[in-house]
Amino acid sequence: MNRIRPFLAALILIAASATGIFAQERPSPDQILHNWYRMVLELVRHTPTYSPPVASRAFAYLGVTAYEATASGGGLASLSGQLNALTPAPEREAGAAYDEAVVMQAAMAFGVRNFFGNTGPTGQRAMKAMEAQLSKLTAADLPEDVVARSVAYGEAVGAHVLDWSMKDGGAVVENMGFPFDHALNDRPGAWAPTSLVVQQQAPLLPKWGENRAFAMPTGASCPLPPPPSFSEEAGSDFHAEALEVYETSKALTPEQTAIARFWSDDPMLSPTPPGHWIFIAMDILQAKKADVAERADLLARLGVALADSFIGCWHAKFEYDLIRPVTYIRRVIDPNWQPILITPPFPEYPSGHSTQSGAAAAVLTAHFGDDFAFEDATHVDEGLAIRAFPDFWAAAEEAAISRLYGGIHFRAAIERGLDQGRCIGAFATALKTVE
Amino acid sequence: MRLVIALSIALLTGVASANAQAIPSFIEETETAGIDSIFRGEWEYMVGGGVAVFDCSGDGFPDMLLAGGSAPAKFYRNVSDVGGELRFEEAQSGAELDKVAGAYPLDIDGDGITDLVLLRVGENVVLRGRGGCRFERANEDWGFEGGDGWSTAFAAMWETGADFPTLAIGNYVDRNEQMFPWGSCTDNWLHRPMAGERRFAAPLPLTPSYCTLSMLFTDWNRSGTPSLRVSNDREYYKGGQEQLWHVAPGEAPKLYTAEEGWQRLRIWGMGIASYDLGFDGYPDYFLTSMADNKLQRLVRPETGELLPRYDDVAFAKGVTAHRPYVGGEIQPSTAWHAQFEDVNNDGLVDLFVAKGNVWEMPDFAQKDPNNLLIQKPDGTFFEAGDTAGVASMLTGRGAALADFNLDGRVDLVVVNRHDKAQIWRNASEDAGRWVQVKIEQDGPNRDAVGAWIEVRRGDVEMRREATSGGGHVSGQTGWWHFGLGDLDAAEIRVIWPDGVEGEWARVAADGFYVLARDAEPVAWDPSDR
Repeated sequence: MNRIRPFLAALILIAASATGIFAQERPSPDQILHNWYRMVLELVRHTPTYSPPVASRAFAYLGVTAYEATASGGGLASLSGQLNALTPAPEREAGAAYDEAVVMQAAMAFGVRNFFGNTGPTGQRAMKAMEAQLSKLTAADLPEDVVARSVAYGEAVGAHVLDWSMKDGGAVVENMGFPFDHALNDRPGAWAPTSLVVQQQAPLLPKWGENRAFAMPTGASCPLPPPPSFSEEAGSDFHAEALEVYETSKALTPEQTAIARFWSDDPMLSPTPPGHWIFIAMDILQAKKADVAERADLLARLGVALADSFIGCWHAKFEYDLIRPVTYIRRVIDPNWQPILITPPFPEYPSGHSTQSGAAAAVLTAHFGDDFAFEDATHVDEGLAIRAFPDFWAAAEEAAISRLYGGIHFRAAIERGLDQGRCIGAFATALKTVE
Repeated sequence: MRLVIALSIALLTGVASANAQAIPSFIEETETAGIDSIFRGEWEYMVGGGVAVFDCSGDGFPDMLLAGGSAPAKFYRNVSDVGGELRFEEAQSGAELDKVAGAYPLDIDGDGITDLVLLRVGENVVLRGRGGCRFERANEDWGFEGGDGWSTAFAAMWETGADFPTLAIGNYVDRNEQMFPWGSCTDNWLHRPMAGERRFAAPLPLTPSYCTLSMLFTDWNRSGTPSLRVSNDREYYKGGQEQLWHVAPGEAPKLYTAEEGWQRLRIWGMGIASYDLGFDGYPDYFLTSMADNKLQRLVRPETGELLPRYDDVAFAKGVTAHRPYVGGEIQPSTAWHAQFEDVNNDGLVDLFVAKGNVWEMPDFAQKDPNNLLIQKPDGTFFEAGDTAGVASMLTGRGAALADFNLDGRVDLVVVNRHDKAQIWRNASEDAGRWVQVKIEQDGPNRDAVGAWIEVRRGDVEMRREATSGGGHVSGQTGWWHFGLGDLDAAEIRVIWPDGVEGEWARVAADGFYVLARDAEPVAWDPSDR
């Protein structure tokens, strides 16, 4: 059994001084990739449109950008023809010299600059600072023509992926993802707004399930059985599910509370649920000093799996359009009930965190193997303790059940969400990357 | 009760209804008022942009100091006539420092002359008022350590028995961190008096600190000891939330905890306004943010101890102010300074909110009009910023509502980023009646910061806490304003900072009064200037 004690903060490249100046060391492609992803985890948190579905989309496209930039240097198969509508990346000039660090730097800088073009002034400042510093270091001591050629190629790969992204249905996010006009379903058991925030009187991104998927055919490729029939009758399956959430919330143990908080992964206040799994992957890759090919492969697969998860999950969410526990319990069981987590502003079934955690576990298990023990330090800088897991599925199952502890999901959404994630993750693990 | 003349109950009833929904009329007089100040600067000035309003000339008319950001601050002496157009003259005051983000007036040394606290990107500076609108640096004389932060919030109070005030200064992110500034919030500072001396001790760090943009000492539970409310910008903190600190005399500051009832709230906190909207004796708090804003009302348990638990009633009261209501943009708003004042003098305070994009954030409104939310008799509010004439599309930050021409109607000044500060004269013709009071007492806390001023209106008592702090880097001293509707007189009293309740006294409407401790109200006539 492997056991890795990762330590993301110990960056190989960024021995940043108090003034934020990099150590004067020429970075390798894997270090560049790692540092841009570290930046992306912050930008996801600090860019207001980056709800979890939107974040997952960026992780997918940036992962593919890094992968295609790396694969074009040889030894890896392109994902074109495997991912929906992705055409081959631009070809390199035959016989010409390229520097892989410069290619990676240019590709990632281009991708991050464009996918986070709407971030705030501090994010813009940070991106510019990182781009300037990494570009300077990567170009050091290289012939000018090699630098120019490599930069142009990296940016061409970035532009190629960006162009591919523009017609997937998720490129434009208005009003932070909340539609201005949305007709609520008046069917008994249908979702109703759970927030006093005006913006959230409509659900988040109701059309997201119609987006072009990445590795799976469509958002409907991993369907779910319907949730238990809605009923307010005591003794019904639905009532029993709600009662389980209610009674669990009333007797939460400190450990259950900690689990709920740990996997809460609130947008705008954390890297979001997909960012949580990206953090885990980065941390392990960094600890094992993985080369750029392994990093690019895993980050692309994981990004694709997470993005497909949100497409598939959202497809089901708006097919079933189910009421949240807080609405049901206050109406039927206890009008004063308060869950410990903030209920997300969209329908309940299935659980998004469960679906995407299932998919992430499928990808990470396929990459690192069964029984790969690890520690999760995602929220150390938030003051939350590291949690240890015997394998990725244990973490995914904990993430899933955390939503019941938090009072925001019923059990069916959790268990079937994991099933859906396992199905979706299989499409990403099936991608062929070795030539 | 010491009533000069007993008030008729009939006189007091129905006050709010007569002018309940009168929409005020504001005339912008920026071009003619003599104000020409721009809050300038790049990233380090994306927040800030305050104004201090105070009378330093002794004529009763509010003068002001406008923060200039990377440019020097500007002082303007008020030369308006009573009821006339607003007119100011720029003058050298000694406060024309650069890198000023915000400013608050406060009589720190208790000499009866207003001093100034300048919040800066760099060293904070306290300026001693010398009289005649002249100020001089007093950091060294008063032992004030200005530090080297990015200071963006302020609050002050006098702790029980203290000869010098306690100042809380809020700081923002570490401005030297370029690539990964998130999570690098500088500690806030508590400048307490040195024991037995009229100077400050070394500041205490208020750890943890979460990139604060507004602070307010407020007696939220009417215990007699104000606590420190802190509103924090979630853009930069990690593991943070809104905060409430115990600041008890002689004790180390201590955070209210969840076990004490404090509820976690994480917003882009940018400004605090407070007022007892529910006439229940306890202040409500309006917290500005991005998109929806919050209005917090204290939860009153039927039994047991009062805990710092609040319901968010912004949605119910119609003050979410989450999106532009005019101008055609539909992206969410960005709110900064907020202040409750009765702009139509109907006896119900209204709410002004300054709006403006942080800095070219495309997911938020670029043309983001200020809000003027008028309170209705049922306690809800409606938007009147456009019809009242204050729906500026410039990039608002700090602001102040004050009666600049002493005609009883509250005027408005707003500081804009990268553009001229704007000033509006309240020219409402159908405004109700009013009273304005200045409170004073002997001793170090001359302006009675921490007092409560109460005005009876029918079966309710309007009340406001005489605070120093809050808003968005903007503060004021001087006249406290109350709208009276169609009353021709009102009962008024002060509960002094030490808890001593003054006598109720009757005053005629449409007048200014000096309420000195242990004395009858003294009418003051602005035309005597």
